[in-house]
Amino acid sequence: MKSIWKNYKTDIAYDELMHSEFQSRPVSHRLCQYLDSLKKEDIDKRKIAAELAIMEMGISFTVYSDEGNIDRAWPFDIIPRIIAATEWKIIEKGLKQRLTALNCFISDVYGEQAFLKDGKMPSEIITSSKNFRKECIGMKPKHNVWANICGTDLVRDKDGIMYVLEDNLRVPSGVSYMLENRVITKRVFPELLQDIDILPIDDYPTHLHDMLTSIAPKQDGLITCAVLTPGIYNSAYFEHAYLAQQIGAQLVEGNDLVVNDDNCVYMKTIEGLERVDVIYRRIDDDFLDPEVFRKDSTLGVPGLMRAWKAGNVALANAPGAGVADDKVVYAYVPEMIRYFLNEEPILPNVPTYLCSNKDDFDYVLEHLAELVVKPANESGGYGMLVGPHATAKEVESFRQIIKKDPRNYIAQPTLSISTAPTLCKGKLEPRHIDLRPFILQGENTFVTAGGLTRVALRKGSLVVNSSQGGGSKDTWIINMEDS
Amino acid sequence: MLSRSAERLYWLARYLERTENIARLVNVHMNLLMDLPKGVEMGWRQLISINASEQEFYKKNNVATERNVTRFLLADQTYPGSLFSSLTAARENIRTSRELLPDEAWEQVNEMYLFAKNNLETVANRRQRVIFLNEILKGCQRFTGLLSGYMSHNHPYSFIRLGRNIERADMTSRILDLASLLLSESRSDEVRQYETILWMNILKALNALLMYRQQKHNRVNGDDVLNFLLQDTNLPRSVICCISEISTCINKLPNSHVLPAKVNELEAYVKSIDSENTTQIQLRGILDDLQNKLGSLHNQIADNWFLISTPE
Repeated sequence: MKSIWKNYKTDIAYDELMHSEFQSRPVSHRLCQYLDSLKKEDIDKRKIAAELAIMEMGISFTVYSDEGNIDRAWPFDIIPRIIAATEWKIIEKGLKQRLTALNCFISDVYGEQAFLKDGKMPSEIITSSKNFRKECIGMKPKHNVWANICGTDLVRDKDGIMYVLEDNLRVPSGVSYMLENRVITKRVFPELLQDIDILPIDDYPTHLHDMLTSIAPKQDGLITCAVLTPGIYNSAYFEHAYLAQQIGAQLVEGNDLVVNDDNCVYMKTIEGLERVDVIYRRIDDDFLDPEVFRKDSTLGVPGLMRAWKAGNVALANAPGAGVADDKVVYAYVPEMIRYFLNEEPILPNVPTYLCSNKDDFDYVLEHLAELVVKPANESGGYGMLVGPHATAKEVESFRQIIKKDPRNYIAQPTLSISTAPTLCKGKLEPRHIDLRPFILQGENTFVTAGGLTRVALRKGSLVVNSSQGGGSKDTWIINMEDS
Repeated sequence: MLSRSAERLYWLARYLERTENIARLVNVHMNLLMDLPKGVEMGWRQLISINASEQEFYKKNNVATERNVTRFLLADQTYPGSLFSSLTAARENIRTSRELLPDEAWEQVNEMYLFAKNNLETVANRRQRVIFLNEILKGCQRFTGLLSGYMSHNHPYSFIRLGRNIERADMTSRILDLASLLLSESRSDEVRQYETILWMNILKALNALLMYRQQKHNRVNGDDVLNFLLQDTNLPRSVICCISEISTCINKLPNSHVLPAKVNELEAYVKSIDSENTTQIQLRGILDDLQNKLGSLHNQIADNWFLISTPE
């Protein structure tokens, strides 16, 4: 092995590509052979080529600051993350199972509430959830699916097992970066992609379009879809514009839409008002409709809930779907799978302690320095405590926070999440990664081949969120029959 | 096409045309001052007054020196009418309409913006200012050429053409304003002697000198220039030509309602201007009137396509 691998450490955690400094895993044999065939300068050149492509293509995410909105280039590591197709088949099945059960659960919460009545979950968890929307009670979205688009975060622990870390059922983002990452890899390593049998991912927009039309209230004639964005200051604006362009939908802001007395939704076009059938909304429930939710929302559309409840427009994801995007509810997903599907969960949860539960609460406070504590309803990696990395003072102040509001905190053992070789100053070093596959559910269910691999670029860091110094990698699901 | 997208493209084109025209205006004024002998009373204040921004200028500056005026018109980021502010606004509009335009369009405007941003300080120096202005003019031309070669002549394209020509007609009238202002304010005969130079520079500002010579076969004189720049049906920057482009775009777009009639009215008005028998004072009145009429045409376009009324 060449100098780029020098002192590569595989004892930090499970490494996705390497057994040791000198030995690659079967999935990465070809990649490693190929990297060894390149000169060090060649690898640097590819890295520069990737950065150039990102600038040219304008792949960015927006950071809003006092000096105005800044579009930052998307941080990308050229070394792909690889998973064998045999393993992936199982994960894919597990993801479908999970989302199916979650949708059964959401339907039940806004319907019979049998899961609660049968004592599978304390009903306070639902009544105290800020994402439970009583306005949705009795609604029946098409195919009984509330969460049409889900981004599920997976991590691999040191035992080599993939765990589900969380299910993002509100407005999960990142899929455009997954697609663009592949485009860049094709530019940077064209030889390699020809040699290795990698499952394609670029059919995602087609499936997204099919899913959206499958939930339209009307099934004949031309179906008009729109992507509803909070606007240019949103960090995911690039993705909203990208997806709208890819699926041939209109990219709209709240002001572009209006709900008339007939409870139908229209877009304001130069030819007058045009009816909209399906809205892929990238705005949180809170801001969706000032008539029903936050009165001060200028991002939403007054009357949108009326139109949805009248069955004149489909919203993906359905309002209220976020009730299952709660880290307390998460703990009950394995039970949901057993209850609604009569199956055993294929993908394990990370063991979770609920601070609302007396025994768990005591355990958590006793072991705070070893645990990861998360608020139930935040996303983006904010407001959490990583016990082993925190100072004694931080741990103490978190103890007080939990005591004040136990319902809103959960704790998990600190996982040693897996690493993958990442190019750092011309050398490969292990960096922690996770994986966010995207699952679509409408009439049918679809899972992306792989997903977005996020990487914590800072040495030792476990936080992969792009808002906090994370980057990403292309993710390859490969068939290995021939190797 | 969404009304909001139509509005953004329309403004994108207006801001880019304005960027180009401010560059032309400053360029020609510099040339004019270099041609005139020392001691002839003619300064930089007029550039501020044709843009109706005296108040804002004198809030920040005591005297209208070359340095102050060019900095204000080109580089002042807090003055919304400056070249850099216009270019920034154009860039923001294109950034949020990328799904409608060829990728290269965004790259071109972005590149020009980065150039301007990195070279704002150089405009203080006369020689470097010339280079700066040339770069901007070239960039604007590249953008126009790129769209005409790459973009379907669809609704989005019509809104771009519409915005460009409204802005262009307005600026041609303001450049004529500058000439009449310079002439009417000068009391000395000395300036009168240099009238030809003045009119030649006006033609140059609109890239129209060569075309003028081919068309008029005559030495440059005020009446003819005025007639040429207002009413020549072949010159792309003449007011009448801009109006006929506006008319073409409006007729291509759906639901134009009263607009075709309004444009016809405007066209008739411009044709009726008798450039040979107007005094400088009358001319200034006519040009003011023309600018107001263009302003109200803009309002009608906005009412018609950008602000789709919603039944309460």
